[in-house]
Amino acid sequence: MTSALLAGPSTPPAGPGSTRSRTRRVRRATPRNTLTRGAALGLGVTMLWFSLLVLIPLTAVVAAASEGGWDRYFSVLSNSQTWAAVTLTVTQAAIVTAVNIVMGTIIAWVLVRDRFPGKSVVNVIIDVPFALPTIVAGLVLLSLYGPNSPLGLHWAFTERAVTLALAFVTLPFVVRTVQPVLEELDADVEEAAASLGAKRLTIFRRIILPSLVPAVMAGAALSFARAISEYGSLVLLSGNRPYETEVVSVRVLTFIENGNNASAAALASVMLFVALVVIVALDLVQRRVSRRG
Amino acid sequence: MSIDITGLNKTFGDFVALDDVNVSLPTGQLTALLGPSGGGKSTLLRIIAGLDTADSGTVSIEGVDATKLPPQKRNVGFVFQHYAVFKHMTVAKNVAFGLEIRKRPKEEIAARVDELLKLVHLSQFSHRLPSQLSGGQRQRMALARALAVEPTVLLLDEPFGALDAKVRKELREWLRRLHDEVAVTTVFVTHDQEEALEVADEIVVINEGRVEQVGSPDELYDQPANDFVMSFLGEVTTLGGASLRPHDIEVATAPHSAGAVEGSISRMLRIGFEVRLTVLTVDGDEVAVVLTRTHARSLGLTEGATVWLTPANGATVIPSMRASLAG
Repeated sequence: MTSALLAGPSTPPAGPGSTRSRTRRVRRATPRNTLTRGAALGLGVTMLWFSLLVLIPLTAVVAAASEGGWDRYFSVLSNSQTWAAVTLTVTQAAIVTAVNIVMGTIIAWVLVRDRFPGKSVVNVIIDVPFALPTIVAGLVLLSLYGPNSPLGLHWAFTERAVTLALAFVTLPFVVRTVQPVLEELDADVEEAAASLGAKRLTIFRRIILPSLVPAVMAGAALSFARAISEYGSLVLLSGNRPYETEVVSVRVLTFIENGNNASAAALASVMLFVALVVIVALDLVQRRVSRRG
Repeated sequence: MSIDITGLNKTFGDFVALDDVNVSLPTGQLTALLGPSGGGKSTLLRIIAGLDTADSGTVSIEGVDATKLPPQKRNVGFVFQHYAVFKHMTVAKNVAFGLEIRKRPKEEIAARVDELLKLVHLSQFSHRLPSQLSGGQRQRMALARALAVEPTVLLLDEPFGALDAKVRKELREWLRRLHDEVAVTTVFVTHDQEEALEVADEIVVINEGRVEQVGSPDELYDQPANDFVMSFLGEVTTLGGASLRPHDIEVATAPHSAGAVEGSISRMLRIGFEVRLTVLTVDGDEVAVVLTRTHARSLGLTEGATVWLTPANGATVIPSMRASLAG
């Protein structure tokens, strides 16, 4: 601890003329461990908890799946029914995420910028789809879009049912990540843009949107992750028809029920990989867009 | 006249922000809107820029009636107290924003941005993000951004209010020099009388939504229209029923002249080169007096000593409100 404290001031301060690459080099030269005792304890607890809950179980799944080598992955994915489930899940999750990006941003905008009666009620209700037990969510949707649909929309047991159920449970994510960022935006920044001649749409595109993108992408990542893992709300609504409405989580359950744990693990680790790729991709998009004006 | 304001009224609920304001601001000059916080000066500036709308009255800029024009069409540059930087854009992009909106050719924009960054001494920071600049640098960037569109008028709302005292002093001297170089009609809002007196060609004193007086710094200081203007522009004390500046009082240790007010020094406080006296007169009034350290020493003043006070020759003296109410 003492050494860290002593080493702190001895690092050369970045001069006013130093380029970004130089400051980066300077930063790398600082000792990596600058933890105080309290911070070390905090990090220890974090890692222990994270390991017990997430890292070790995940590693176990990947290890179990990789016992059969690449052949196992190949054979699992080459099963046409499994492949159909994977493509359905990923496509539907992608569609729903895209919808959420637009709808979530609009809802957040309305809740922050507009004043209307019942606003606080709407603000609370936004979380309901997320708070409901997912099987109940399925039931709720079935009443409006099921066989006895009062609207005449018989979407149950079709691909639309999957979209609907996923959209329902992932609705709050983008709203809730964008809302606080939108609230924090300074009004005078928009006024500055207006007095420089920017029209409302230009202000939104060039000033507001870049500030929102990190929050939108964070919400999108959450909603995609939730969508590819959804199970409960789909069971009632989609009917789990192979090749049509069967999603990966249902397929995994089928594997397990048939005692085929190795295939279940292989499929699970494939989905883990997909989730990682998407989350990283969204993060990259966010970095690029928020840097541009 | 560059900006003509007639019969302007603005209320926020019960609060009267502007009460029948009529004022003309001359072209090419640096005008200060001076007054206490909440007096309506920022509201007036925002109405000139079109960021707020008046309840009634008209605003015309360079002879064009701008009362109903949106801010986009007024061609005014506006500088905010808290900089209002575009956080995700580099310094150069911030400055270029208004020109890009106007769809100027790329080379022209680059050249103009270059020129402006030189003007505000930020050339070497053009690729930085605003978060990597100090407050004073951010405000200079905001100024360059406002100047980029060649505005008819430049409006600054307490531009140095968020900066520390030293930077504030530097920046206002720099603003004065910049204005002499660029010569765009400039209006800035401040509640700091020293800032207004030092920088402005003309000062509009605004209090409780009304214009109290318009004039050059000297006119305002030497011939204040009323008690409020006098007290707002500097310290005021009362001597023999008249308001005057504490440094405009002559102190004598013997009763030389007739009409001198006798009193004893109840408190003596030295701050650097100046000495502040509180004199308790025989009539029971407390008079504040300021003189230099050297002067006080040459008179041999001490606490408790008896002195005679007279207004100095050429002092600004106006009958005080308190006295006129009592009399």
